[in-house]
Amino acid sequence: MKRKAGGILLSYRLAVASRCLAALLGGYLLASMASVCITLLVPMTPVDATLTGMMLSFVFYLLAFIWCFACRTATRAWLGVLLPSLALALINGLAYWMKNP
Amino acid sequence: MLSVALITFAGLVALCLAMEKHFGELLKRKPKPGQLPALRWAGWALLVLSLILAVNIRGLAFGLVEWFALVMAGLTLWVFGLPYQPRLLLGLALVSMLLGPVLAALGV
Amino acid sequence: MKEGFRQAMAWLHTWTGLLFGWLLFAIFLTGTLSYFKDEITHWSQPEVQRHQLDPAASLGLAKRYLQSNAATAGSWFIRLPSDREPALSVSWRDPNATGRRGFISHELDARSGERVEVRDSRGGDFFYRFHFQLQMPHPWGRWLATFCALIMLLGLVTGIITHKKIFKEFFTFRPGKGQRSWLDGHNAIGVLVLPFHLMISYSSLLLFMYMVMPASIMAAYKGDSDSYFSELFGRDDAPKAAGVAAPLTDLPALYAKVQTIVPGARIGYLQIANPGDSNAQVTVTQAAADHVAYQRSANWTFDGVSGALLSQGEPESAAMMTSFTIAGLHMGNFAGPWLRWLYFVFGVAGTAVIGTGLVMWLGKRQLKHAKSGRLPFELRLVEVLNIASMSGLLLGVAGFFWANRLLPVGMQGRADWEINVFFLAWALSPLHALLRPGRKAWGEQLALGALAFAGLPLLNALVTGHGLDQSIARGDWAMAGFDLTALGTGLFLAWAAGKMLRTPNVQAKRAPRAAKAASTTAEVN
Repeated sequence: MKRKAGGILLSYRLAVASRCLAALLGGYLLASMASVCITLLVPMTPVDATLTGMMLSFVFYLLAFIWCFACRTATRAWLGVLLPSLALALINGLAYWMKNP
Repeated sequence: MLSVALITFAGLVALCLAMEKHFGELLKRKPKPGQLPALRWAGWALLVLSLILAVNIRGLAFGLVEWFALVMAGLTLWVFGLPYQPRLLLGLALVSMLLGPVLAALGV
Repeated sequence: MKEGFRQAMAWLHTWTGLLFGWLLFAIFLTGTLSYFKDEITHWSQPEVQRHQLDPAASLGLAKRYLQSNAATAGSWFIRLPSDREPALSVSWRDPNATGRRGFISHELDARSGERVEVRDSRGGDFFYRFHFQLQMPHPWGRWLATFCALIMLLGLVTGIITHKKIFKEFFTFRPGKGQRSWLDGHNAIGVLVLPFHLMISYSSLLLFMYMVMPASIMAAYKGDSDSYFSELFGRDDAPKAAGVAAPLTDLPALYAKVQTIVPGARIGYLQIANPGDSNAQVTVTQAAADHVAYQRSANWTFDGVSGALLSQGEPESAAMMTSFTIAGLHMGNFAGPWLRWLYFVFGVAGTAVIGTGLVMWLGKRQLKHAKSGRLPFELRLVEVLNIASMSGLLLGVAGFFWANRLLPVGMQGRADWEINVFFLAWALSPLHALLRPGRKAWGEQLALGALAFAGLPLLNALVTGHGLDQSIARGDWAMAGFDLTALGTGLFLAWAAGKMLRTPNVQAKRAPRAAKAASTTAEVN
């Protein structure tokens, strides 16, 4: 009984640690990708587009944090930040390539 | 800006009194029908009026910032002063209501 | 792990608040002090006299001083005295030295133009730097402080989600009811001053976004941040010196020219490139106090020989205005006296939200162990850290000011020692908290803080000629305001110490009398 409780505790702790990492690193990745995406896609001068992208990036970071602790499992936390990051990365790659062929 | 501060404060107090719980606690009686909605309308109207006045006196940027600061300061004063000095604060609200427009007319 | 969104957010609010609360408390407190950065510096260097402002005359004095002391320097920098900063400050780059050492700065008396020998002190600048650099090597302090800002923003958002009766209890504060009152207070200060809290934490992210979120700069400028900055601020490089001597134009005349362009403009500083050369240029920048937003357009560049207007700063785009406004709101440079005081009050409110949160975290968990009177290790650790981060920091701040008045004026490395005293006092606090039971530790440290702060005006009057009687008579309200604020802080701490040192069950009834008794002791000191 006791060992089982300890086991649950450990897996719980690992899951929390995993969520923290997902929020911290995955969230940062998502925020960066989103900021680049905004910068490359908004029809503004480079300096304005850069400013806008950076200013809005923190909203994505914040949402990623909330997602990572609100979703049901740690795996979902990772998927929830990595999949959108991947999609944004693809868009970014394409947009960057079209701007700098 | 003193007129703006006073009108803002009066507006906040009206909004607080528009809540049945606070009305009963502060004025020690039940509100008459229609009194609460009237207070709510009056409160919002005073806030909008003070905002227009602030922008008019200080320009858009300074007016907006200073109005926000006055709202937050007025709320803090009201909420944290209320348990200790309810009569004083109600009196202040009444004075604000009367003095605010007078000062606004004088352009202070 | 969680049932429902709101519980998950409450969990996140609780644990990020605990882990980052201690550091956030320090950032908020020192940041709040930074709203009075210039006033604190004025108190820390009382040798500088306050005079009636006369910008044109000050410019003449600065030019005379620089010509006789820095005639060979490649560039000059003049900062004019303001309502908040009494000194006329001149700086230049020593042509014979390289690196950061080559930058020389002198403070001049605004009336005589003579150099004032000020005591070596960082003054308000120490607290200002600490609140975003945390006395850590570059760039780690900035990264950590910015991450703390994100956690603060997260705390605000999760707090709003968690708060069930945000509108119903909007106007509610019920004192004297233990945990209930702490929660009421925490919620009320958080919600009522929410626009400020949101602005201050979001703007902190923006201030260092070029550093913490550089992906956009990499994508749009291929990582060349210099060209991003030059496009953002629109600055031109200074011209090269021609090597042909030519007299520098009349600076007060340039001041008059700016007055015709923007009537009533206050001038912040002047940069003079190649003074005494035929390629000289003078850039006059309007004081930050004149605008809410930082404005890159509010400067004018003149030919340094003929005095002809060459160019004005470029206008801002909408995105720039947004970013500069948010940054400007954070700094509050534009705030006049009453708005500055409100900034200070809201900063204290932000500090209080963090502090009450930390106290509640422990208070809730302490209840279970109230009977045994012994706390498990982790709760004891939180208790010690709470005491050190709050009352300990206050002792550190008081220590800094005492050191400023007591260390010998001619001492080597004096400014560094003021800072050492700050950290020493802060470091002693957890040691004391370890040795004493929680309530006693709180009470004793707060009482010491009360004595230290309430004693500052007295100390100031004893060791300098700038006591309250003098400063009020002279109309030096920055000096007097500092002393009065220190006295007020002392009285507040005495009240808090009195509450802590009473036994908890009679506390509610006897608190007012205790506070009165404690504050009179503090006043006598």
